[in-house]
Amino acid sequence: MEVKNTSKAKLVASGVIPFAFLVAMIVYIFGPGSDLIDLGVSLPEITIEKVEFLDSEIVATIRNTGRIAVDVVMADVNDRIHPAAIEPDKHLERFETAVVRIPFLWNVAEPYLIGITTDDGTRFEKEVEAAAPSLEPSLELAGFFAIIGTYVGIIPVMIGLLWLPFIKRISKSKYHFFLAITVGLLLFLGIDATEEALEVSKETLADSFNGVLLVATVVLLSFLALYYVSERLVQNTNLSRMTKPVAVALMVSIGIGLHNFGEGLAIGAAIGLGQVALSTFLIVGFAIHNTTEGIAIASPLAKGKPMIGLLAGLGILAGAPAIFGAWVGGFVYSPFTAIIFLSIGAGAIFQVIVILIKWLQDEDDKKLSSTAVVSGVAVGMLVMYLTSILI
Amino acid sequence: MLTIIIATFSVALLYFVFPEMIEAQTAKTFVTHSGAIIKTTGDILDPVYLPQTVEFDPQKYLREFSYGRVSILDDGRTLREFTIIAEDDKIMEISPGVFYNTWTFNGTVPGPTIRATEGDIVRIHFINNGKRFHTMHFHGIHQANMDGVFEPVGPGGQFTYEWNAAPVGIHPYHCHVMPLEEHIAHGLYGVYIVDPKDGRPPADEMVMVLNGFDTDFDTENNFYAANSIPFYYQHHPIQINTDQLIRIYVVNMLEFDPINNFHLHGNLYYYYPTGTDTVPFTFTDMITLSQSERGIMEFEYTYPGKYLFHAHKVEFSEKGWVGIFLAKNSEAKVE
Repeated sequence: MEVKNTSKAKLVASGVIPFAFLVAMIVYIFGPGSDLIDLGVSLPEITIEKVEFLDSEIVATIRNTGRIAVDVVMADVNDRIHPAAIEPDKHLERFETAVVRIPFLWNVAEPYLIGITTDDGTRFEKEVEAAAPSLEPSLELAGFFAIIGTYVGIIPVMIGLLWLPFIKRISKSKYHFFLAITVGLLLFLGIDATEEALEVSKETLADSFNGVLLVATVVLLSFLALYYVSERLVQNTNLSRMTKPVAVALMVSIGIGLHNFGEGLAIGAAIGLGQVALSTFLIVGFAIHNTTEGIAIASPLAKGKPMIGLLAGLGILAGAPAIFGAWVGGFVYSPFTAIIFLSIGAGAIFQVIVILIKWLQDEDDKKLSSTAVVSGVAVGMLVMYLTSILI
Repeated sequence: MLTIIIATFSVALLYFVFPEMIEAQTAKTFVTHSGAIIKTTGDILDPVYLPQTVEFDPQKYLREFSYGRVSILDDGRTLREFTIIAEDDKIMEISPGVFYNTWTFNGTVPGPTIRATEGDIVRIHFINNGKRFHTMHFHGIHQANMDGVFEPVGPGGQFTYEWNAAPVGIHPYHCHVMPLEEHIAHGLYGVYIVDPKDGRPPADEMVMVLNGFDTDFDTENNFYAANSIPFYYQHHPIQINTDQLIRIYVVNMLEFDPINNFHLHGNLYYYYPTGTDTVPFTFTDMITLSQSERGIMEFEYTYPGKYLFHAHKVEFSEKGWVGIFLAKNSEAKVE
């Protein structure tokens, strides 16, 4: 026992000692009175993350994205100084946000430059292409978004599910073809969501957030988390052959659901930013696009017993997040949360792809090189690309 | 399934409830440019100085003339000696909360208004306490080696400029070390007035240097003003009397922008370009000035009240170059 205890203590010590050295070094470098690394000049940086147009007021949400704390001292509209208010206060620590209210009688559809000046006289600006009244949260509007979310998310997925009887009746290789189509569809959606996340981060996120790495990290974390869950789920259902397809279909639904949340976000944000024409297009495009997602859910279930309730449940799980996405996008849009959700969606989809490929491998006994699988993936990608042009 | 939907729905509901939770704790108020009164729980961002909080007092600068240490020479001529110290490490609050590294003559932007009479000997003891080379280049007539161009004065160095004050008029002075734009834009300039021997008619005299600050170094001014502090004379009107001659010595020292101008409300002024002639050039309410262009404006108000004056390049006025004359009935009229 004695020996074991000392060896345990040694183990702990060997783990802690390097860490203690690291702490000591950091304390030495950053500690009081240390000017070892007092090199270079830290510049302030303010990012204007969001501009909203309220009744005779422009409201800018700003964030200190620099390396030092700053005081915000002035606001301007189109480079003309205006009295304004900043809430909660003008002092912003690193990454702290504040809301700047600029009383201003703005005109609909005109472009505006919003400027923020910090205490060292540096001015940061953001251009708004066309001013549009911001959406005030109301039950009526929430209902409107719910209807749009239903059109975009739930109904198309349900329509896609109606292909189930068709898929049921076809031969095994044709069935594999449809499963492979699902892989192609999802691959496209995953790439699409990643691209969207990267685009949002490039356009609106401050450099200090390391946008590309943020997307990569969240995609991977989301992938790993869902992969872990789904492996457990599929393994535990291995006892009965019937429920494995259900488990796979469930994971597909969750992945698509997370993806549809991102789509809802895009639609809500487009309406919120006043791009109404664009959002009508988005709605039609997403509706056609999402019908294919129903096929993705239906395919794994094709060889099992038809269960209407289960199918409907999976359809809602995949489609309903579009409603919540539209609410969030329309009412509380922030680029940071948008990137996070898009990345989670992408990770979820990549995870589903891995599950499907594994399944195809098991079923196929081949190395995924059958005509059905290869052509299926290709057709899936192509169909998605062609329907995406509609958006 | 149902629990998931209910949970997400209740989370979504929070977004509608949330705005109600942000209630005013301690409301402050401010007035917009169009007169609306706005309340806020946060801080106010409005470039309003109080006379107590302003670092450089434009009211004091306005009517302050520096005549130098006067002595009469054996030949009967007047010698005016000035000591001017250049510095380039001063951080000045040029607008509330905005701190900018100004380069100064005798600690202020603009530097002191140097005033002499035609024919006086002006002697400037120039000391450079800055970290860079500086000079003083006066517009006017003088010898080539007194021009402050080819005799850069290094850190800690000194130089004595001397000449006979000429010609009559209003002239700028500024540092003439390269890069010139940088030295002027940081604030190394001031006004030099040469009075005619017979003097000018008595008047309420003031100096206005039209200037600006490019605080983020993008070769565009962030702030504009008459006498450095944006909006100051708007919030603290210049008090004048009706039926009294007002004489303004105006110099445009703005960098980056090719022109500046001066528009007076409710009145017109006689304009003497460069102040070199005693006959007015024009009677107008609007003069456009290029860089270092200057002149004398003379006017009188008949009716009491508040009168705006500002750049009619209104971008400049919306960024601080705007002020108010508050004309009061002169004592003679109040019986």
